[in-house]
This record gives sequence, structure tokens and C-alpha cells, in this order.
Amino acid sequence: MPIVQATNLHKRYPRPDRKGEFFNAVDGVSLEIAEGEIFGLLGPNGAGKTSTLEMLEGLTDIDAGSASIAGHDVSRAPYQVKQLIGVQLQANDYFDRLSLCELLSLFYGLYGRRDDPLALLERVNLADKAAARPSRLSGGQKQRFSIACALVNTPVVLFLDEPTTGLDPQAKRRLWALVRELNQGGMTIVLTTHNMEEAEFLCDRLAIMDQGRIIAAGTPQALIERYAPEPPARPLHGNLEDVFLRLTGHDLRK
Amino acid sequence: MNQTLLMTRTFARIFSRDRQALFFSLFFPLIFMSVFGLVGRSGNAPLMLGISDTAHNALSAEFIAVLQANPLFTLQQGEEASLREHLVSGDLKLLLVIPADFHDASSSSELRVIADTAQVRELGLIMPALQQALVDVERKLRGVEPLFTLKVEDIQARAQNYLAFLVPGMLAFAVMQISIAGSGYNIVEYRRKGILKRLFVTPLEPSSFIGGLVLSRALLCLIQLSVLLLYALLVLKVPLAGRLWALYLVVALGTAMFLSLGFCLGSIAKTQATIMALGNLVTFPQMFLSGIFYPIDILPHFVQPLAQLLPLSFLANALRGIIVDGATLLTLWPSLLGLGVWSAIFLLLSVRLFVWKEVAA
Repeated sequence: MPIVQATNLHKRYPRPDRKGEFFNAVDGVSLEIAEGEIFGLLGPNGAGKTSTLEMLEGLTDIDAGSASIAGHDVSRAPYQVKQLIGVQLQANDYFDRLSLCELLSLFYGLYGRRDDPLALLERVNLADKAAARPSRLSGGQKQRFSIACALVNTPVVLFLDEPTTGLDPQAKRRLWALVRELNQGGMTIVLTTHNMEEAEFLCDRLAIMDQGRIIAAGTPQALIERYAPEPPARPLHGNLEDVFLRLTGHDLRK
Repeated sequence: MNQTLLMTRTFARIFSRDRQALFFSLFFPLIFMSVFGLVGRSGNAPLMLGISDTAHNALSAEFIAVLQANPLFTLQQGEEASLREHLVSGDLKLLLVIPADFHDASSSSELRVIADTAQVRELGLIMPALQQALVDVERKLRGVEPLFTLKVEDIQARAQNYLAFLVPGMLAFAVMQISIAGSGYNIVEYRRKGILKRLFVTPLEPSSFIGGLVLSRALLCLIQLSVLLLYALLVLKVPLAGRLWALYLVVALGTAMFLSLGFCLGSIAKTQATIMALGNLVTFPQMFLSGIFYPIDILPHFVQPLAQLLPLSFLANALRGIIVDGATLLTLWPSLLGLGVWSAIFLLLSVRLFVWKEVAA
């Protein structure tokens, strides 16, 4: 049985351009993610990735369809689900008058746990920042701290929303290494990204979304083989970005 | 650990580290009280009263003696023309001219009172005193014993001056400011930063979040109020006529009321600018209508009944009753009822408006 299961998910939002009308930000998404997988959700801005993630996390109501994590229905048993998942959000601000250590202790407390924040900071290479305030962190450090916060309950499923956006190559590679390491410990990881290299490097399986629907899914290799443009005479040089552009078009999104 | 306690400790830590906010929440009430504390002290000096006696007889001398005996006045005698100059320059508050025909003949004579009525707030106080002095002299002259006398026994329980009026008002005002800022503004800020969203994906119960915020704010508010109160009692020497515990009880009730109001506003407002506007919209009218700086009695008559019903009016009334009049909670029941009703309204509203999922997302 898949650890994350979503069936025919719908999310409606009011249309920004026409009053009183709605559009489906997520329009019938079904997913099955196996335990121990790194699963990537790709798609242009506004494709519905974050909305899909937020429904799986219980952060927004599921307008139609259903989702379950480790057998617990997200809508009906939100608190069981919250105990099982770790979430890293796109916005990664925290109470700014607390140190990293104090913030982690707070998160431990919220899950009814008591543990050493320093050991967790060590794991994400932030031990030397234990007494620092979050506002003093660099972009990469902030992302790593965000992930540390998402790990306090040793989650079964870890959700990462664009974890490497805005990071320099060093910080990005470091984060990838961390994600790999967590996954090798048995954690299921669901992430969204715009970075095709990241998707190819990290993900066991991918789904590409556009306009609220999944338009392709499979392993990175299978997707490349199926969708990458065939070079006429020269050897194959298409990559996942070509796949992405071919599937979702070259137009800029809002 | 219990989530509510955890959040209380966390928020208390956060708020106590916000030195700037702590400073400014105390700054204005302290400044106001200090300024009026000093002004109020000099305001109790006797009134300078000029007398020009053109009668120069035993009767006028007696009349002047009666006035001199009144602690309300300090007399300065002289010619009308020179005294007028003193009056214009403000050295004298009032000039009294005793006419030449001021004697014990049966015909009545007229004393002239010259004053810049716009400048003399105490005119309502002075005129009866003058009248009384005249009546005394007249009685003596006619050999009439007064039929009734009114004897005032001053128990000196409390000094009623502007400062004593202002201090409870300032306390009430500070409770409002600190509490509304404490709940409403913080919620909007935490939402904007995505902190509420982050907390929402943990198993934190909304009631624990609210409970923690309310308890920590209430705690901090009581400490801040204690600072103001100590300053008023010890430095400005405002006497406290009532019970201290009753005072704290009312402050706690007021804090709960305005924290709930802050939650309502914080749930409605989506941006920092909106919450500031909403905050001002509810605090400013109350600041001027709720008897903080001046009594509600001097407002236009049609405003008064409404002004009396404002949340801050109930709080200021109750605090003033305890500090100035030494009232007990029992006698203050109308104000306490008002506080209770408003608290219930705000609490119900905030429970309806503060939907954890919607506010957080």
C-alpha cells in the first residue's frame, strides 16, 4: 500500500480576473507514492504544485477527492497525519526573537517530545549557529534550518516545497546530500522544484503538472526516453528541461 | 509539556525580548502622567484676587477680612487702574471693585467683578465664595443669625485634582493599547511571515495557541501596568483609596476584553496596514470619548449616553472608582457588568472569526 495516496484531488479558488467565478487550481490529481521514495512534483508557476502539497499536508481543505498518509485520511484525521509528516514551506520565517535552539525546542515541544536541539542542528551543519536568530542566517542556512524544524518528529513523510530555490550551487549540493541521506534512512520525501537537474538527480519518480493536472509521470529516465525531442542525426542530447518545455510549452506563466 | 504552557512560555520570551515595544507601551502613559503630575501640583496655589476699595469704611474692611480668611484667595489691594494692568498681564485672576456707596445704609450697592472669563476656569468656584462673603457681612450688619449652616468636615481621604483623575484613565488607556497591540498586531505579523502556517502543520491545537498568546500577554500587561501604577503611587504620590487586589482584578478583566478585541481585528485584517487602521479606528474614538483625559460630562449631551457604553469607559470608570473614590467591586457592578458584556461579545466574535485554518493559511 502506498504511503501517500491521493485520489482525484480538486482545489477551487476564486478567479482573480472575473468576480464570482472559480477555477480549479488543482483539477483531478491522483498520486501514489511508495514508502522510501523521493517523489518530485514539477510544473510551471501556478500549475498547482503547492496547492496539491498543501492539501496533502492538511493545510488547505480538499474541495473534492481524498488523500491519505500512511492510511490516515488527511481530512478526517488531521492530527494523526500531522504527527507523521514533516513540512518545509516556501516561506521560511520564524519567530525572530528566539534562537535556533529555542525554536527547535519549541517544535519538539509541540510534538510532545524532548530532545537535544543541538544534535539536530549538527545534522544540518548549523551547530555553530545554535544561539543565532533566524534573521541572521543566509539563504542556504535558512533552508537547512527549515528542514531541521521539519525533522523534529522524525517524520514518515517529509514534504519539501522548492527547497533549493535561490540557493548557490554549493548550498544546493549540500541540501541534496542531506535529502539523500534522510531518504537512505528510510524517509519518504515529496518535493516540488523548478530545477530539472535537481529532479533528475534526486527523484526516483516524478509527476509533471500543468494547469492543475498531471500531464506526465514516471521515472526521470522513462520520461526522458518518452518525451525528449529526438535529435535528427546527431546523438541524443535532450535533457529533462527539454522534456519540461516540450510538455508545458515555452510561454511564460503568470 | 502542555502545549498551552509551552506557547505561553514561548510568547512570554518573545514579548519580553521586544525591548522597543515594551519601552513605547510605557513611554506615553508615563510622560502624560509626569507632565500633568507637575502641572497639577502648581495648579493648587490660591487664586490672586485684586481688590480696589473705594469705600474705605468699617464695612468694606470687614468684607475684605472675610475674603482674606478664605484659603481660596490671596488678596492684593490697590487702585483700580493699576490692578487692571495686573489683571491684563495675568498676575491677577480677578479684580473686585468695592463701590464708594458700600456702607450700612439700607440701599443696596453693587460690587463689580472684572475678569477675563475665558481665562478663569475657576469662576464657578470663585463667585459663590464672593457671594458667601457678602452674605456673611450682610448678616452681621443686620444682626441676623443664619437659619441654617452648612459645616463641611474634610476627612482628607483623597486629593481630587487632575492628576488623580488622569492616572486611572492612563492605566485604562495603557491596558487597551498594550492588549490590542498584543493580540491583533502579532497575529497579522505572524500570518504575513508564514509563521502561523508553519505552526499549523504541527499538532498544535488552536486553543493552545490562543491560550498561550492571551496568558503571556496578560502576564506582561499586568507587569507593565504595575510599573505605571507604582510610578503613580510612589513617585507622583497619587493616593490609592481602594483595594489593590480589586484594581488588579479590573485590570485583568480589561486585558481579557481588549485582547479578545485584538483577536477579532487580527482575524479580519490581512495586512499590517489594515490592522493599523483598524486599531486606530477602535482606539482613537475611545481615547477621546471614554473619559481618559477629561470627564465624559463635558461632552455634548447627545454623545454622553453612547460614550458611557464604550468598553474603555467601563474600564476607566471602574479604575477611577477604585483609585479615586475607594469604591468596592460591589458598588462598581455597573462598570463590571459592562466589561463582562463587552468581553463576552469580543470573545464570541473572535472565536467565530479566528478560524485556525483560514487565519493560518
